[in-house]
Amino acid sequence: MICAGIDAGSRSIKAVLFDTDRMQVLASGLTDQGVEQERLAAELFKKLLRDAGLERSQIFSVVATGYGRNTVHFADTTITEITCHARGVHHVAPDARTIIEIGGQDSKVISLEDGGRVRDFAMNDRCAAGTGRFLEMVATRLDMNWEKLAEVACQSKKPALISNMCVVFAETEIIGLLADGKPLPDVVAGVQNSIATRVSALAGRFVSPPVYFTGGVALQVGMARALEEVLACPVRVAPQPQFTGALGAAILAGLSRRQGGL
Amino acid sequence: MNTSPRKLNLDGWDDRYEQLRREGLREPAYGGPLRRHVVREKDFRLEQLQFDNSAAALRLWNFLLTENERLHQARANGDKIVGTMKDLGTVPVMAYALPGVRAFYPDGAWWTPCLMECSDRLLQQAEAMGIDASFCPVRAMLPAFENGEHFPRPDLLVCSTGAVCDDFSAIAQRLEHLGHSIFWWEIPRRRQPDPQEASCALPGNLFAPQVQVDCVREELQRVAQSLGKLAGQPLDDQTLAGGIRKANEVRRLLQALRTTVYSATAAPLPALEMLVAEMLAIHFCSDREETIAVLEDLLAEVQSRVRQNQFVIGADAVRVFWVNPVADLRAMNLLEELGGRICGSDYMFTHALDLIPENLPPLDALARTALADPMVGPTADRAGRIVRECQAGHAEAVVVSRIPGASHCAREGEIILETVRRKIGIPAIELEIPPVCDAMLPTLGSRLQALIETAKARRTK
Repeated sequence: MICAGIDAGSRSIKAVLFDTDRMQVLASGLTDQGVEQERLAAELFKKLLRDAGLERSQIFSVVATGYGRNTVHFADTTITEITCHARGVHHVAPDARTIIEIGGQDSKVISLEDGGRVRDFAMNDRCAAGTGRFLEMVATRLDMNWEKLAEVACQSKKPALISNMCVVFAETEIIGLLADGKPLPDVVAGVQNSIATRVSALAGRFVSPPVYFTGGVALQVGMARALEEVLACPVRVAPQPQFTGALGAAILAGLSRRQGGL
Repeated sequence: MNTSPRKLNLDGWDDRYEQLRREGLREPAYGGPLRRHVVREKDFRLEQLQFDNSAAALRLWNFLLTENERLHQARANGDKIVGTMKDLGTVPVMAYALPGVRAFYPDGAWWTPCLMECSDRLLQQAEAMGIDASFCPVRAMLPAFENGEHFPRPDLLVCSTGAVCDDFSAIAQRLEHLGHSIFWWEIPRRRQPDPQEASCALPGNLFAPQVQVDCVREELQRVAQSLGKLAGQPLDDQTLAGGIRKANEVRRLLQALRTTVYSATAAPLPALEMLVAEMLAIHFCSDREETIAVLEDLLAEVQSRVRQNQFVIGADAVRVFWVNPVADLRAMNLLEELGGRICGSDYMFTHALDLIPENLPPLDALARTALADPMVGPTADRAGRIVRECQAGHAEAVVVSRIPGASHCAREGEIILETVRRKIGIPAIELEIPPVCDAMLPTLGSRLQALIETAKARRTK
């Protein structure tokens, strides 16, 4: 049985086709998010079907998740990112007990029970300071792309302390630090640490190892290290972290149709 | 037309009202179609809400939404009006014991920006008066006092001080500086008695040092004298005892309503109507006798529905215990739209749902009840009661809703969530809900939906 998961995130849309009999991913893809969310999601879905040599009629069920899940009307049902990331990470890392997911516009900490079921969760979707948006703002301000930003951060010897809790004010602070001659790598690493600190405040009571890091920001080299330092425990980056939400959605698509629920 | 229990929007209520009229609906003087509150009072939020379709619910809403109108009428009829600020159920009991005196709750103006979708500009006017968005939405009462467009200016304004939120205290002091004379009474922060100290039992399985109870009793004695002077009749023990008996009548009705609704296999009444009904405990929505009638109607409706196995929310809904009232009433609908139902609540005045002891001297009984207020004691005490009620109500999840700017909840959410997780291990979240939450509905919805998914997944454990 083949199922699909669509993760309509704030910055990008991710899709996964999953064979629930063989428990393996058949295809995955990603496209930038935009105003016409449903059209973008539909085009991505069609592309994956083409790549995998499948017809729409061969897809048993589609689950949409993510910030824009309710705009994906061709999905059979919607499930929140919390449940989908939990299931996706459990599939790729069955030993996971804590998931840290940092996306473009929010961050989440999810505590798992044995079997990958969600025990509890905390979310930050009100403040950009603990999200990928902060890194995007810095990349734009420094006129660098995402990969270059990570590369620069890795050269840091003494990360700067970013004291502002607000991204808007932090931008001014960053400019001030650079004007004062603070090395660029230290400033960028300071931003990564700042995000990690905000996420650790969210994590607080939830963190029990093994901790897995997922979401698009997990691809940013240096972020896992920053999290490890503030959480004082190892943080593993989930395989293909940008797809765990869509993967979980695809797995749950099979379960929800078969069992009449989660 | 389908008249089985269900939820209706305002358009649906237009038809339902006509149907009820054709069937011979008898209404009190404040009755009428719900739509008129949008047209006349600009209560635009009603257009975004879902309501219960019973005549009893219609009466409840009309009672709530005509409070200011009824207060002005009472003033015209010669009644004395007492504003009881930062008081969730003590001084109103005293005031209503006296003939021709009515208490109301100016702090309740915090719902006005929600109901009027901020078209009243009360919050902006409060900001212009130096009380900005970093304060609790209760700040809406400041301009309401000044412009007189909502409630009448009271003949006596009573406010508690001491164990009171910082922001509320600042707002009340600003009000006094604006020339509104306030009769202050002090309530100390409740603490555990020291080992060598005389202890006193309070309602709700709480204890306080006897010296604190004595202090509050003396303060309430001063309030009683002031109320007696206003009424032209002393508030003696016998009169007060009568007021307590009546207040307990309201509390018994609310206890019965809560027990019937929250313990039913499915919800016989929506969360929104339950929230409004429970709020009647504080100051009887400016009419104690009518409160009793409204609650009797509502209880009869709910009991009838339970007997007939008729519900507004299905039995599969996740049982959620809700902590704190919401600034935007839409949030209560949202929970049910996403598959939840309320199985218990702590809207900050649980002490006003407990019976006032009738076997004690009346002022002593009221002092003990006032000290049992969850907002004057440690949050740990409040969390303890929440845990007990979650267990009794078989709660599957807990929601703590924060009120933006309210200083009383700076850390209370964290403490309550931690206690719930540690003692009963059910998922719990904290939400901040502003007076109009439309822009936040997707994120609020995500959190609530995730909570409901998590709770449901645990059923198959």
